Amino acid sequence: METDWSKVIEVFSSGIIGVFLVMFLLQVLTQLSTRVIDAVENRCKGADADQPVAPSQD
Amino acid sequence: MFDILKDLIFSSGLVSLTGGNLVMWLISFVLLYLAIKKQYEPLLLLPIAFGILVVNLPLTFLMEPEHGLIWFFYHYGIELDIIPPLIFLGLGAMIDFGPLIANPKTLLLGAGAQAGLYVTFFAAVLFGFDLQEAASIAIIGGADGPTTIYLTSKLAPHLLGATAVSAYAYMALVPIIQPPVMKLLTTDHERQIVMKKLRPVSKLQRVCFPIVTAMTIMLVVPPAAPLISMLMLGNLFKESGVVERLTKASSNELMNIVTIFLGLSVGATMTASTFLNPKVLFIFFLGLFAFVISTAAGLIMAKFMNLFLKDKINPLIGAAGVSAVPMAARCVHKVGSEANRRNYLLMYAMGPNVAGVIGTVVAAAILLKNLG
Repeated sequence: METDWSKVIEVFSSGIIGVFLVMFLLQVLTQLSTRVIDAVENRCKGADADQPVAPSQD
Repeated sequence: MFDILKDLIFSSGLVSLTGGNLVMWLISFVLLYLAIKKQYEPLLLLPIAFGILVVNLPLTFLMEPEHGLIWFFYHYGIELDIIPPLIFLGLGAMIDFGPLIANPKTLLLGAGAQAGLYVTFFAAVLFGFDLQEAASIAIIGGADGPTTIYLTSKLAPHLLGATAVSAYAYMALVPIIQPPVMKLLTTDHERQIVMKKLRPVSKLQRVCFPIVTAMTIMLVVPPAAPLISMLMLGNLFKESGVVERLTKASSNELMNIVTIFLGLSVGATMTASTFLNPKVLFIFFLGLFAFVISTAAGLIMAKFMNLFLKDKINPLIGAAGVSAVPMAARCVHKVGSEANRRNYLLMYAMGPNVAGVIGTVVAAAILLKNLG
């Protein structure tokens, strides 16, 4: 059977580029989501720390 | 009395035995030896070896379509894509994505190692395999058994036994295959690089990761959905911390049950007529080639990344970009600690190692999209 070399090149190149693109996209989204979560968690911690302590009734 | 005895002998499998059956028994005994005595991937190799043995006993018809017991396991488990995703569910419930979340750059190392897979695809076509067969052989380089089985069952089911055994055999041989490649492609100075301490990862980040990953990959590469969805569901079970029973069931009972059916079914595809041909030898050779090239591609990717990074990474961790969790990461740690005894690379290598699992699934999905 004759090998369809244009298909081979297509699978080869689209495969390599495709995997890198998907993994790069995942990297960007992971970094973005972790940064957003870090910022939210730090803000929450800051808000907790700033909250005035209720004066003692003693 | 004599007639009964004659009848018994002529209706037995003994008279139907072929030379091919005997060779397959021999292969089965070798795999049983490797599994039991050498403990090479025994959880898979033992049922695979036994599957090979029983399916090569004549007149048992265990793989007879619509009748044989193991055919039902094979048909419902593998042909209908049930078992590989269930293995991924269990895998997800066991994997810790923390090192990857702490250092997301290692996702690129998981992608780098997949380049070897496509080089092997090219080589397999040059060796005369058709495109579907070449893709099924190339995926061995990802060193991920369930993904190899998933892709081969869709593209070239007649090669299932050879590719699955090859993938699991090379995964078991990681400590032998990878170190020479690592040492060849890195300098002593590079192997001694001590990496920056990983930042802590919060529980919310761990919970969000499987959701973000599942959505991203399934939106971009829909054919990856069966494997990625189950992998990430298993991980969400684990990281949410609220379904301990489901986590345990996925990672223990379910995983063990499907492993039995997977191994037995894969072994049973290896009859003398399908397995004993020169192509299979090439598959084992190309599988090794795929594994070596993928390891090398991961290492080269890490060295390339170091050209741009302020905090250098130890290029050895690139070799863990092939899946083979956690053997590849352990191997990196061992080679790294030989160069610098104070270098503890295991956690750093776990990042690319789990990225490799994701990368192999993405690579398989792209092959499936192009050739399925």
